[in-house]
Amino acid sequence: MSENHQDHDHNHDHDHSPEIEAQKREILSKRPKPTAGRDERYWNSLEQWGKDPEFQKLAEQEFLTSPLQEEDKADGWARREFLKLMGASLALGSAGCLRRPVQKIVPYAKQPEEITLGQALNYSSTWFDGSETFGLLVKTREGRPIKYEGHPQHAFSRGALSARAQAHLLSCYDPDRLQAPQHNLQKEGRANAETVSVTWGQLDEKVRAAVANGGVTLLTGQVASPTLRQMIKDFQTETRAQHIVWEPTNPESIALGQEASYGTKLVPSYRFDRAQVIVSVDADFLGTWLTPTAFNKQFAEGRRNVEGMSELVVFDSHYSLTGANADKRFKIKPSQQLTVVMGLLYEVVVKAGHSSFAANTEFKEALSAFENAGALLGFSDPKALEKVAQSLLKAKGQSLVVAGGTATQNQDALLLQVAVNALNSALGNDGYTVVYGQSQVALTGSHQALHQLVDDMMAGKVKTLLIHSVNPVYYLGDWFATALTKVETVIYTGSHMDETAIKADFVAPDHHSVETWGDSEALTGIYAIQQPTIQPMYDTRSILLGLSQWGKISSALGKAESDYEMVRIYWKDRLLSSLGFKGSFEDFWLDLLQKGSVGALKNERESVRTARVEKLYGAKPNKQEGFELLLYPTVQLGQGELSNIGWLQELPDPITKIVWDNYASISIATAEKLGLAEGDKVEVGMNDLRIKVPVHIQPGLHDDVVAMALGYGRTRAGRIGNGVGFNAYNLMTHTQGGCYFSGQSLSMKSAKEKYTLANVQGHHTMEGRAIVIEATLQEYLKDKSAGIHKHKIFSIWPHHRYDGHKWAMSVDLNVCTGCSACVVACQSENNIPIVGKKYVLQGREMHWIRIDRYYTGNPSEAETVFQPVMCQHCDNAPCETVCPVLATVHSNEGLNEMVYNRCVGTRYCVNNCPYKVRRYNWFNYRKTLEKSEALALNPEVTVRTRGVMEKCTFCVQRIKTAKDTAKQEGRALKDGEVKTACQQTCPTEAIVFGDVNDPKSRVAQLFKEDPRSYSLLEEFHAAPAVRYMTKIRNNSERVINAPHHQHHEEAKKGDHA
Amino acid sequence: MQKRAMQGNSLLKGRLRASAWGRFVFFFGVIVLSFVFGACSKFQPGIGYNKNYQPDQPIPFDHSVHAGQYQIKCQYCHNQVERSKHSNIPALSTCMNCHIQVKTDSPFIAKIREAYEKNTSIEWVRVHMLPDHVQFNHSAHVQKGVSCNTCHGAVDTMKTVYQFTDLSMGWCINCHRQPENKAPLNCTTCHQ
Repeated sequence: MSENHQDHDHNHDHDHSPEIEAQKREILSKRPKPTAGRDERYWNSLEQWGKDPEFQKLAEQEFLTSPLQEEDKADGWARREFLKLMGASLALGSAGCLRRPVQKIVPYAKQPEEITLGQALNYSSTWFDGSETFGLLVKTREGRPIKYEGHPQHAFSRGALSARAQAHLLSCYDPDRLQAPQHNLQKEGRANAETVSVTWGQLDEKVRAAVANGGVTLLTGQVASPTLRQMIKDFQTETRAQHIVWEPTNPESIALGQEASYGTKLVPSYRFDRAQVIVSVDADFLGTWLTPTAFNKQFAEGRRNVEGMSELVVFDSHYSLTGANADKRFKIKPSQQLTVVMGLLYEVVVKAGHSSFAANTEFKEALSAFENAGALLGFSDPKALEKVAQSLLKAKGQSLVVAGGTATQNQDALLLQVAVNALNSALGNDGYTVVYGQSQVALTGSHQALHQLVDDMMAGKVKTLLIHSVNPVYYLGDWFATALTKVETVIYTGSHMDETAIKADFVAPDHHSVETWGDSEALTGIYAIQQPTIQPMYDTRSILLGLSQWGKISSALGKAESDYEMVRIYWKDRLLSSLGFKGSFEDFWLDLLQKGSVGALKNERESVRTARVEKLYGAKPNKQEGFELLLYPTVQLGQGELSNIGWLQELPDPITKIVWDNYASISIATAEKLGLAEGDKVEVGMNDLRIKVPVHIQPGLHDDVVAMALGYGRTRAGRIGNGVGFNAYNLMTHTQGGCYFSGQSLSMKSAKEKYTLANVQGHHTMEGRAIVIEATLQEYLKDKSAGIHKHKIFSIWPHHRYDGHKWAMSVDLNVCTGCSACVVACQSENNIPIVGKKYVLQGREMHWIRIDRYYTGNPSEAETVFQPVMCQHCDNAPCETVCPVLATVHSNEGLNEMVYNRCVGTRYCVNNCPYKVRRYNWFNYRKTLEKSEALALNPEVTVRTRGVMEKCTFCVQRIKTAKDTAKQEGRALKDGEVKTACQQTCPTEAIVFGDVNDPKSRVAQLFKEDPRSYSLLEEFHAAPAVRYMTKIRNNSERVINAPHHQHHEEAKKGDHA
Repeated sequence: MQKRAMQGNSLLKGRLRASAWGRFVFFFGVIVLSFVFGACSKFQPGIGYNKNYQPDQPIPFDHSVHAGQYQIKCQYCHNQVERSKHSNIPALSTCMNCHIQVKTDSPFIAKIREAYEKNTSIEWVRVHMLPDHVQFNHSAHVQKGVSCNTCHGAVDTMKTVYQFTDLSMGWCINCHRQPENKAPLNCTTCHQ
């Protein structure tokens, strides 16, 4: 197809003299493959950028493997591996010859009032992922939860969910969950792994006795539930227990920084929507830092109106999701973070003489050491910092500087925070974009407290240790495990027999969050209620009841008999009056259950606090040389608690697009220096530790950075998470008072071993045609459709008639941040299977929506554009015309329908799809589901079998449900009533779905009136029902759409660092 | 719409007729299949359909008494049919509304009462069953004014319920194609 399609969009504005033509022919003949019609400014991978002939060959192949090459016998190992990953298969009930299978209908004995068979019930609820709180609507069918939706009324998360929140539901049905209380016999002279089931009565008796002995410590992850926090307080009063809160990625340095600068220890909330200029120093606020989903929403709000869009400047040690969305991205290394902020302070305070600090000579003296920070940082433009400072000053009072995350967890972490606070105060941002009056109350984790605890354990001061919802043995390894052996009784409450549970004496399985009552406090004063939506699957118990039992708590809260009573008592006694609700508690409670949450964001401007800067007086630029370590949590796995969820393991990393692995990311120059290719193993050495890890060559990375993802290398996560990747927590440094994740020097050399990383970017490539369209803000202001090439199209097709609805979707690339929540939402809604690493390598991943990540520019400084691609529901669909059995046809509402029961699997359609959105069932993936996992399936969507094609349906089941509801209520369908799963969860509201035949609908207006709107491969005239909107970069120094097409030359100029 | 579907049919036939080999495979296949199907089926009118299927039920519930003799409306028991895609089999509590007083001495009623009190249930044998990839919406049809009898037959005369129509796709489409019904004919109307 690519050969036939000639370069009509580039040829016409070139000179056609015979000389040039001859030259051109010569150039073209030397290239590995014709590149006519391709936009070489954008590339998916280094192989594509370098025009690797192997890659070209792959790109032109529809299927990476043919079924004929599938040697089933030789492939036996892989097949077994696949089954191991996915669980044992269900036995297929033999249906007999033709005798229909007899099905039984078992009605309720007593009809529950709320249940109508076949109709979904939504319950307001909430979930805390260890750092961020979400308001949820849990969609249930006949008493089992099948999908999480964002709750639009929650004041903080406002209807958005993250990829991990979407996937969390599946952990309820995880077959590896703990199913009953366990007693570990390690202290009885048996092997460590021997556990026996006990009853709750026996367990409670033993634990009560241990707790009564004194010397009790409770170690938990960060707690967002106010009821649980109160219960822990009551437990402490009763037993004089110590309470330690710790999670590996806790933001303690921010709290300590606030204390050092302003005297109050808290983690403030931020308002990215209010900021005109945002500067982030390694704070991946769109990916993993604090509350990324809410930040995504705020960030998009500041950019939706293009004329007034905010500017994002990122100083990035690792190629983070935030860096990928930056208007200006600077690569740095962790040891340079402080230099960046001090350099900015120098520009603002000393050079511009701004703020009260300008009178502080001592501070100015300290800052003068950073006078030539730009040169120290090695930026190509030595005036870069000055320019950033000028934008900040221009937007003073309405800008925001943030730093944080594991990338900043090093010896300078505190100084960095103090410097950031000073900068925000100097610019007058404090109190407006940094909201200290409404803080992140749940984020109280502390590395210092953890060190104290381990010391106490080693000294034998801790007799009984209760561990709840944190897995320290996985994070801390032998350091913690050794200390555990000094504790008389260890009790663990959690969901799995994980790394810590196996070392505990008693394991008390906790309810899943969809099985129990609870609550959450997202920010000060924003509360949400968590309702159970399913009977507990197994013999588990809420931690609330555990604590009240073990501590024999005598308060009203402790005496209550169920989690329901406890939550109600807390809300009645403690919250009702403070929320200022007048009226009876029952009225309040019913209202709460419906709305799901109470409280609002504080919108008034607070006064600017004066920051203390004494700590910064001695600061000197850090001139560390050599490789530096950087450990980071990922968007898909976070810290690694949810590693046993296949959806997350198979969710491509937003930047690298690699699945089922972690790796050491290194820069291109470093790879060339060490003679490494993608996937080669290196030996990384730090202190006494030597580990061999595969490398990923990451464009746009600093040459001295070696970045590795946390959350992998679990040994006891379950059948899916075990043994995926390596445990990067081993490289974490524990020193007195801190856990360091970055900046440590390390050595690296080639291990001369090969490894294969499964990278999905490169699969389903659209062969480099002009797909993503970008423009700078300046270009946009001059020409609102800058960059869009309009084609003159005539059609030989008769047009379809759409008399009723005509469904269509608009995707705004300017606000899409690539967070990938939509991918998991779609997977959950549409029963999409996972296939495992082996088959991802063969290009058989099943996601109906993929997010293409394009790099652009010089590979050593590459910028990124994201583009979600799903079935485009073309009016002149190329797939429809080639299906020999009419299994894919056009509906009179503009949907490209896939009829599974007609499909015979010729795969002609996928060969003919220019967008590469069709997915083929190579196996009967349903058989790999465990019985409990099958409960998570959406009954509205057919589960596909082997040998049929599938693809995005525009959530046709949701369209039909909404239409039926409207019909029943005797009214017309309203705009916005049908929300696709991807749209519902999207934190940035980049996706708009609706009926273009309704001229008032949002999507119709976007299509008609927004000049940024364009369709993919318009020149093919497939007439897609999905249109995209140009990505705008707020960077006046860039030229993206030069008046003439010069990009071939530009791309060639880019060299290897 | 009708025309398009017809074209589709003739297209399909055209392809099959295209080669001699195809024709041979087709006819041979039909012979083998009809032999196999014919030998195994007792009562199917068409291949794979279950018209007249009349299984024994755990309790010989007599529709002709309830719906016929006593004129109880269908929706009294199948009360969710107007608002849900499924027509529910009534909960035991619905039976007990009357049978707490009526005919309490019957051993079958005793069975229901026992299950009701123990909070267990009765396992009815499903009569009308569509293939897994078909979604049928009762409420949409009831709303439109389609009588229960159209698809289920004269249930008020049935002692034991049987499948009245073959519930084949052709049978569904036949109704949807009638212009006066203004019914949708998209594939996703039933398959999603």
